[in-house]
Amino acid sequence: MAMGVTVTFVEEGGAERKFEGVEPSQSLMEVGRTHGVSGILADCGGACACATCHVYVDDAWMEKVGSADAIEAEMLDLVSEFQKPNSRLSCQIRLREELDGLRVEVAPNGY
Amino acid sequence: MAAAETQVTGSAPREAGQSPAAQGSALLGSASLTDPAISAQPTAYYDAMRALDPVHYDEKLRMYLVSRYEDIQTVQRDPITYSVEHGYKAQYAAGFFEEFQQILERDGQGYFPDAIMSDPPYHTRIRKLMDNAFSAHRVRQLEPLIETIVRETIEGFIDRGECDGVKDFAVPVTIRVICEQLGIDVYDADKIQRWSIAVTQQIGRMQNREQMIANARDICDLQNFLIAHMRDREANPREDMISDLVHARAEGEDNPTLAFGEAVSLVRALMIAGNETTATAMSNMLYILATQPEVAELLKESADDDRLLSRFVEELLRIEPPVRGLSRMTTRPVELGGRSLPEGAHLLLMYASANDQQDVFPCSRTFDMERSNLGRHVSFGGGPHRCIGLSLARMEIRVAAREVIRRMEDFRLTVPAGDLKYLPTVATHSIECLPIAFSKRA
Repeated sequence: MAMGVTVTFVEEGGAERKFEGVEPSQSLMEVGRTHGVSGILADCGGACACATCHVYVDDAWMEKVGSADAIEAEMLDLVSEFQKPNSRLSCQIRLREELDGLRVEVAPNGY
Repeated sequence: MAAAETQVTGSAPREAGQSPAAQGSALLGSASLTDPAISAQPTAYYDAMRALDPVHYDEKLRMYLVSRYEDIQTVQRDPITYSVEHGYKAQYAAGFFEEFQQILERDGQGYFPDAIMSDPPYHTRIRKLMDNAFSAHRVRQLEPLIETIVRETIEGFIDRGECDGVKDFAVPVTIRVICEQLGIDVYDADKIQRWSIAVTQQIGRMQNREQMIANARDICDLQNFLIAHMRDREANPREDMISDLVHARAEGEDNPTLAFGEAVSLVRALMIAGNETTATAMSNMLYILATQPEVAELLKESADDDRLLSRFVEELLRIEPPVRGLSRMTTRPVELGGRSLPEGAHLLLMYASANDQQDVFPCSRTFDMERSNLGRHVSFGGGPHRCIGLSLARMEIRVAAREVIRRMEDFRLTVPAGDLKYLPTVATHSIECLPIAFSKRA
């Protein structure tokens, strides 16, 4: 234990950013923002209020990650041009041991 | 504003037969955002800027007006090159700053610069202390309280069949919500409205010296009022935002607590920013309902569906942003929108103009709730300075929209749209007084 988890972001251009030994208990957004993952802007600081940390969760991980709640779904609806069934706001994905190996694609944000 | 904006706009007369480019060029050549006619109905001015001179130097303001969506995004994404701290300071009480500061120090217990209007990394620390207070999930818990406030406010005037949408509805609702959040039980709403305008006038660039002195006195009153509450919460913490800020700690930071002056500036910012701008959004909503009956129909159809209502609120914010211009200052020479800017160039970001850009929001003057990119409007700004109270603002507007349309219909202005007055400021686009009539729904 205390080894942390591994998460991978695929940036919009296709570049893979893999982070190992990540401390759980933070959000996936925080990992992306700390390491400057392109497209994880996180303007609102993790308040589920701006949709600038939008990711597509790899299908294999959808069940463990879970789907967006009503409040997050409303926010994703405001960027419906980029919304997919596996869309999530990464600030709302709290990392835990169970998500070790998680892989997500960063969604475009239109600017 | 579609109805009013079809009128001839701006101080430059439009000659029949003149090409749009020539009209736009004449407008840019002769006008300033501070001209009352432009300030009240700025759409044609924005159109001309975007088409002809996207980073336009306004001689009277001595500022570059940034009008295109992509340039505003560029500025918002680079808070180091485009400094909020320097831009805000240069805007604040411009022309009278020293005298303003002296009045505050003499009668208002001090001049406390806005800690949140700063640059990273200092800004990051301040912002962290505030982020959690306003999460969408936390704000959702306030919905029943906001609903009660909106209903009681409507009850106060509904039987008259008419009201001032600003003074009778928008302002009392937002003031009561923010006072409840801050933990202020007893207050004079008229005073708080006056204080709010006094603060926002400091970045409005349209006050004269006499007005500055009156505004500075009001801000002294405001600070003395807030500081008394803060002193009380230092000794007797309660479940409210003033207590949260007075006792705030950012764990893991070298300097985890707020200095007293920082805390005063943040409480003041919450009181004002959480009030005037949201009230403006609600007034704008009533204005649109009274001038575009088809939008009232849309709202009627959306009132009981959270997704549609959320889209209604967002399109309202896009088409009529309450905050229209906040400032930045360049910290190095830089090229923006094809223009070379020196270090120290003072910029005003024209949010309403960006929201009107046709290649981002087609048919931008049409109220269209089904846009697939609604969330891309810049009414809350963007980047690390994006409005922190956006979830609370959205929730207040959502509840206001829902309760208004459930209880009233057949909205109309009781004065010609052209007679409506707007607050003299470049920072917001706020109707001063909105006389409307309506029918009570059965």
